[in-house]
Amino acid sequence: MSAEMANEIKLISGRSHPELSDKIAKRLGIEVARTISLNYSNQETSFTVGESVRDEDVFIVQSTATGDVNEGLMELLIMISACRTASARRITAVIPNFPYARQDKKDKSRAPISARLVANMLQTAGANHIVTCDLHASQIQGFFSVPVDNLYAEPSFLRYIRENFNPEDCVIVSPDAGGAKRATSIADHLNTAFALIHKERPRPNVVGRMVLVGNVEDKVAILVDDMADTCGTLVKAAAVLKENGAKSVLALVTHGILSGNAIETLNGSVLSALVVTNTVPLGDKVQRCPKLRVIDISPTIAEAIRRTHNGESVSYLFTHAPV
Amino acid sequence: MVRNIVVLGGNSHPALVDSVCNALSLPPCNRILTKFSSGESRCEIQDSVRGKDVYIIQTGFGGNGSRLNDHFMDLCIMISACKTGSARRVTAVLPLFPYSRQPDLPYNKAGAPLFKAGSSDNGRKDYTFESVPATPAPGIPKSVGLTNGTDITSKLLKTSLTNGTQSPIKQLNGDGYFPVNGVNGTSNTSPVKQTGAYTTHDYENLSHVGAFQAKPGYKQWVAQAGTLVANLLNCAGADHVITMDLHDPQVQGFFDVPVDNLYGRPLLKRYIAQHIPNYKDAVIISPDAGGAKRATAIADSMGVDFALIHKERRPTKITDRQNASMMLVGNVQDRICILIDDLLDTGNTITRAAKLCKKEGATKIYALLTHGVFSGDAINRVQASAIDKVVVTNSVPQDKHKALLGSKLDVLDISPIFAEAIRRVHHGESISVLFNHD
Repeated sequence: MSAEMANEIKLISGRSHPELSDKIAKRLGIEVARTISLNYSNQETSFTVGESVRDEDVFIVQSTATGDVNEGLMELLIMISACRTASARRITAVIPNFPYARQDKKDKSRAPISARLVANMLQTAGANHIVTCDLHASQIQGFFSVPVDNLYAEPSFLRYIRENFNPEDCVIVSPDAGGAKRATSIADHLNTAFALIHKERPRPNVVGRMVLVGNVEDKVAILVDDMADTCGTLVKAAAVLKENGAKSVLALVTHGILSGNAIETLNGSVLSALVVTNTVPLGDKVQRCPKLRVIDISPTIAEAIRRTHNGESVSYLFTHAPV
Repeated sequence: MVRNIVVLGGNSHPALVDSVCNALSLPPCNRILTKFSSGESRCEIQDSVRGKDVYIIQTGFGGNGSRLNDHFMDLCIMISACKTGSARRVTAVLPLFPYSRQPDLPYNKAGAPLFKAGSSDNGRKDYTFESVPATPAPGIPKSVGLTNGTDITSKLLKTSLTNGTQSPIKQLNGDGYFPVNGVNGTSNTSPVKQTGAYTTHDYENLSHVGAFQAKPGYKQWVAQAGTLVANLLNCAGADHVITMDLHDPQVQGFFDVPVDNLYGRPLLKRYIAQHIPNYKDAVIISPDAGGAKRATAIADSMGVDFALIHKERRPTKITDRQNASMMLVGNVQDRICILIDDLLDTGNTITRAAKLCKKEGATKIYALLTHGVFSGDAINRVQASAIDKVVVTNSVPQDKHKALLGSKLDVLDISPIFAEAIRRVHHGESISVLFNHD
């Protein structure tokens, strides 16, 4: 390291979530690199680099804006490939909300494993390292042959629960069997009770019958999940918990995708609050939904970037949230 | 009926998929191809593709409410789904190859236009990069990378002022039919979607790029996405690519798999022979030096005269800019002009060329292009131009353009060419006969 010329962090921001990039940049005490990306009138994406990235440590921050996933992904791929051809030493794609994370297995005949495709595309474009947050399935890391750092919002959630509630009064609830591991981990850290809701899903984006396993009576039920999309699951789960005697119900979710009628669904639900991190740009949703609370995840991401750049261990961040 | 073959269509051009399937007399593959409410593509292929020869038709065109990048991702997902579904071979059929036209770089041998504006950069023009660490001096930030705030703003202020004074000249540089779009100031942090605001020519127009300025001492450059697109198709699993009239034939070299570049030329030639009266006396014109080869090939084989328009992308400081920026080589006086190019995007090049031909005394002007994208205000521009007839192929959907342009637009059907190419590729026959065919 000392023999080489010192290189710097170059933070490049895509168009999907500039607020997050600005927060990360501020935290790192640097400026976002000068770049411009735009769509030509024929809708092709164009990206221009306005400063040298030669032999620098490039971090490209691109989330996936709801409804514009493919646009953001294409822009990210073009940005990576542009930095690769501009002789960057290392390119790290910082993708807080990994796109297509739910299409991670061949669950039907001829279903695409799009998460694997995205992983391959990122590597083809030239990404040397991936930083992401709460992957829907951590096995997605195996789709890559480059290092993937999967950060967790869990430490931030633990702090939020400890600051706002008495853990003794709480029950951590997983809204589906797949998320049980995530929820039990939080329950273990807080030393609280745990419950699980079993659901049937007849079609995508539609939720079927739900069954509660465990006791939530006279407790604050805290639903924990990795993403809230149309919020159908969460709202139904909240109703089931309320029916089973929960004092109040709130939900802690890493990625607030909140697509379709999510805001209306939330506003009309028994959920007292939905706590999300800012991995996904929320736009005006915070104004439209008084139940929505946002935890800033940028300190964790910024610290991961700093540690990655300096070659320090990132595992500290799996259990601690920087303030 | 062709056996063991599956034709799968994307959402970009359903009409072409249908007519190709008709020509091959087989039904298109059943599939679900929509979007989840989160914006992710949802693709399910409902017919078996195991051991089959799969052709996926998706053109590089976004419009009518759909997005180009969505179509491209859909294509990659479909390819990958067929691959995981044990298809024997997957061929991507892209009538119009996306990102094939590399943008015009803002720099040429003569220098950097962006630095012309900022007189404050005079002293540093010669550096390709700043020395690290920078020599501390007034106006130069001490720590590299941490540009000191006042320095940038003063620079931006100066450049924007000079841009302001230059803008009237720059507007003349446009096509002359329409005032140039309002200044779109963008910064890298603005989340605003710019649809239809920029074209690949806009880097010559400083006012369009607005507030963006490269770091002093660094020559900005625009990402060239062509290679990336080729690599992504490879990585998705395409075993073969069929496309038509690539803007740069070199794109074929970006692929590790076979690429068949079909020509729209036979169709255009047939149109000239059948629909243009006394075409032997007409002049075939290439509106751009880059397309000269394409136009001379047609002119030679038909025995028609040829002329060329030399289009200077960056005009020098001469008052009569329309004449200064374009130059016609050849004689068109009292003759029919046939402009030939591969792509009509915003229509800037072709309408300017038509204007020049008219000025030089052309009687009638035809414009023959393989791909008619008609993006931005192209429809209005063509409508107002000196072009009497625009002829394009249906490599991208033309229904809407036809409705707007009416009898000014003629559309040639390319589905027989693609159907024949698919049939021949499937049977392992030579497709070079399609290249020579008149």
